[in-house]
Amino acid sequence: MTSTACFIIVSRNDIPIYEAEVGSAAKREDAAQLHQFVLHAALDIVQDLAWTTSAMFLKAIDRFNDLVVSVYVTAGHTRFMLLHDSRNEDGIKSFFQEVHELYIKILLNPLYLPGSRITSSHFDTKVRALARKYL
Amino acid sequence: MREVWVITACLALVDATSIQYNDEDVAPETEKEFYRVQGDLYSLCRIKLLRLAYLIGYGTEIERSPVNSASLSMLPWPKPAVWPSVPDDATSEVVVKEKMILQETPRVKHFGIQRKPLPLEPTILVREANQRRSSLSVGNSSEIFYGRVEFNDGLAADVPAKMPQADKAHEFMMSRTYSSPGNFDCSIGRPMRLAEIFVAAEHALKKTISNPDLQKILSSVENFEQKYMELTKGAADNYHHSWWKRYGVVLDGEIAAVCFKRGNFDLAAKSYEKVCALYAGEGWEDLLAEVLPSLAECQKSLNDEAGYLLSCVRLLSLDKGLFLSKERQAFQSEVVSLAHNEMTNHVPLDVSSLITFSGNPGPPMALCDGDTGTLSVTVWSGFPDDITLDSLTLTLMATYNADEGGKLRNSNATVLKPGRNTITFPLPPQKPGSYVLGVLTGHIGQLTFRSHSFSKGGPADSDDFMSYEKPTRPILKVFKPRPLADLSASISSALLINETQWIGIIAQPINYSLKGAVLHIDTGPGLMIEESHSIEMESNKKAGQGSVGTANSGDATKDSSVAAKDCSPAADKHFEQLCLVSGKIEFPDWASDVSSILWIPIRAIDDKLARGSSSGAPEKQSIVDRMRTIALKLEFGISKNQIYDTTIALHFSDPFHVSTRVANQCNDSTLLLQVTLHSQVNATLSVYDAWLDLHDGFTHAGQGNGRPISAFFPLVISPSSRAGLLFCLCLEKRTAEDENNVPPENILNIRYEIAGDRTIGAHPPVTMKSNENAEDTSKNLVFRSALVLQQPVLSPCLAVGFLPLPSDSIRVGQLVTMKWRVERLKDIEEKRVPQNNDKMLYEINANSDKWMIAGRKRGHVSLDMKQGSRIVISILCMPLVAGYIHPPHLGLPGIDEVSISCSPAGCHLVRVLPPAPSSSFCVPA
Repeated sequence: MTSTACFIIVSRNDIPIYEAEVGSAAKREDAAQLHQFVLHAALDIVQDLAWTTSAMFLKAIDRFNDLVVSVYVTAGHTRFMLLHDSRNEDGIKSFFQEVHELYIKILLNPLYLPGSRITSSHFDTKVRALARKYL
Repeated sequence: MREVWVITACLALVDATSIQYNDEDVAPETEKEFYRVQGDLYSLCRIKLLRLAYLIGYGTEIERSPVNSASLSMLPWPKPAVWPSVPDDATSEVVVKEKMILQETPRVKHFGIQRKPLPLEPTILVREANQRRSSLSVGNSSEIFYGRVEFNDGLAADVPAKMPQADKAHEFMMSRTYSSPGNFDCSIGRPMRLAEIFVAAEHALKKTISNPDLQKILSSVENFEQKYMELTKGAADNYHHSWWKRYGVVLDGEIAAVCFKRGNFDLAAKSYEKVCALYAGEGWEDLLAEVLPSLAECQKSLNDEAGYLLSCVRLLSLDKGLFLSKERQAFQSEVVSLAHNEMTNHVPLDVSSLITFSGNPGPPMALCDGDTGTLSVTVWSGFPDDITLDSLTLTLMATYNADEGGKLRNSNATVLKPGRNTITFPLPPQKPGSYVLGVLTGHIGQLTFRSHSFSKGGPADSDDFMSYEKPTRPILKVFKPRPLADLSASISSALLINETQWIGIIAQPINYSLKGAVLHIDTGPGLMIEESHSIEMESNKKAGQGSVGTANSGDATKDSSVAAKDCSPAADKHFEQLCLVSGKIEFPDWASDVSSILWIPIRAIDDKLARGSSSGAPEKQSIVDRMRTIALKLEFGISKNQIYDTTIALHFSDPFHVSTRVANQCNDSTLLLQVTLHSQVNATLSVYDAWLDLHDGFTHAGQGNGRPISAFFPLVISPSSRAGLLFCLCLEKRTAEDENNVPPENILNIRYEIAGDRTIGAHPPVTMKSNENAEDTSKNLVFRSALVLQQPVLSPCLAVGFLPLPSDSIRVGQLVTMKWRVERLKDIEEKRVPQNNDKMLYEINANSDKWMIAGRKRGHVSLDMKQGSRIVISILCMPLVAGYIHPPHLGLPGIDEVSISCSPAGCHLVRVLPPAPSSSFCVPA
């Protein structure tokens, strides 16, 4: 389990639709903003990298000192971005894949408008459980 | 020191690559890559510079922005082999630095936003420096000072980022530690104060740095800032060139911060706007919340009211969790106070994210054309407090075209509570069609604002920004004009003229309430309302039956309406007397939904006397003569806006139509006058008396008064039947002068009574209270009709008789001799036949298709002037067709037709058989 990890789902319009601090470390007051900042900046790199590969999992695309940004891009160009400090690449890949499945289930909900904020508490619980499991 | 080396190296690299780079012949990919690398170099360089600046005490000048905080606090402190110590002669500098630290006041953010400043250092510098020094020189002396609080400092120093809790605790410790003067004389053993660290670092750097530029940069705050700007700008530009807009824009924000600090608000605002646009566009609200207050502050300093207000509104519309409620209230009070001040520009403020509105759930409101109504709209307010709106205007958009529909105005001051509010708008009449909500505009003080967003239902949803349009639901439907009420006359048959009659007007609402309706009655010429009598109104019992009869749409409705009719008690039937006030009647409330009949006493006036006809068949009287019209105008609807205009034609008539015929003329100049009375009305008439007022020239024969025998009365005449009266008259001798006068009319008087129902047709007249005593025979009505009796009634001077045909039957193709006998009945007076009297012109007229005439059709015959002389005119003719056909007719063109008596009197027919079968074909050879 990593001590710091921030997971964000960014819609195709670059809007964050889901945010979760999944690290085991206690949350710092300013950390959310810093993490958001780092992840937001990483969007620039994702935009370059996403079209260079057919793989969904882009691995670690950005490093910020000891923090690493891993990104998974779905077919609909929704980006799962994880800011973490661990090196468990396999775990991260599995985490992304499982979250992708969850995300697809959310998309299948007829009441969910694609591109809007994900407010499902079930989704939140599941994502946190996955984070504990894989990260 | 490594930092210095990095800065120099980066700058050198930037210069070197820029020189090498030729932007003309490179692929776009390469170009991007180049700029990115340059951007990276610049930003690395920038960070290192910041670090150095912090080390030598310029930390207060560094903006504690996310980017700086992230880059600095996550980077470990430089690890020099030996942490520099304070030189001996630097006491004065230490004092200066200390002063600087003490003077440092945390910049108060606008709106009273208080945030813990973001850290710029991975760990507290004082502790780090002291610990390093002590671990190097005195071993674990740090434990002497901090041991009781944290004994694991040594570990913490190596992994600073992982132990944020420890940081906080240290910070607390530090604030006391560094300000208290040290007890140790030994410079090595004594922990250094912050100012001392700064001075020590500065001195160490001065020794290290060989580059004069860099030395100069670090020598003063101004120089540092200048270099910092240069590096930041370089990094931002390069990132922009490499399409890494997020990196670039963030650095723009840094430039803005410096500009802001220097008082260059214009530039700062521009840069901040760029940053805000990026964050807002991509919906990263946490980051936006950080930058937006700064932008607002710039705009305030620039007196950019519109921009400032917009920023305030954007701040308010950010997620509620990002700001404290106190801060949000500050935003609101800022907006309100600005709004109530003098506004120089009146650009509408877009508050779509803050004030959203939606129609009420459920089916859209339905209105008939031209109706007003009240539209209720739910408005969600995102303001943290109640806010008073001075006026509100809502536009409706028609769905069928792009035109704006009506504007709904609610000019009253409205207080919006946070969250859900229901506001009602008076709705003026709209054009038919369906409408959706358009734009909500309003005023807060001088400030105009507009909102054009819709919320579906909940506040949770209204927070959510959608990139695509939500489907809009029609909120109002205005139907096409349709008849909403009907006015018609309840009776179609004739009413009595010159008598006060009830006319029934059926007022029927057609799925529309007639509540408060007002009926204007305007009678046409020859018609007047008996105003002294009140108007009666009752519910229309026929309406139910009528609707049953006409409702063939479905059995269910028919049954239900029948059932409703059957079970409706007698109490359901209303009756009320109303008063006509200046031609208007107000409907009672019970008549608002049911069909009702209005009974209006009315009198049609016709001063012409009824005229009897003299021929056998009653000639059709001109209906138009006795037609009266009544113009009705019904005003109804919520605000009397619906108007139904109609004109009802009423048919009035005399009770009888009189036709006369002289039944027999005796030789003694006594006439039997048959008077036929045709009932014209749909009511039973009882004739009680009848008499003839004769003018000169006629007298009653016999007893004198000329009344029929009274035993026959009353004579009851059913509707549309007829009755006859026989009068015996005789002629009086007249003088020649009398004939020239226009004969005065003979008047037939009939006293009668009428028994009828007003719902069917003619009925007994409304009894008038005023002239009740005027007539004793109140019930009996008198009908007067003029009869034309002319003196030389039927006194022809010539008689033409068609002689019987020789054989019973004539056949087609058979020659027949037609004979007429002309006889002179009396002497022809000179003046009537002026020409040679014994010659008489005759003419035979026949239909040439049916008859072939042989011989002369026209000629003169001589007839003696004496009375009784006769002559026979014969002609040979042949019928051409079989059947009953008119025979040829003998006319005497020279003689007035009235003086010819024909026998048979009118047209007659003769029978013509088909031709006899020719026997010649049957004769055997």
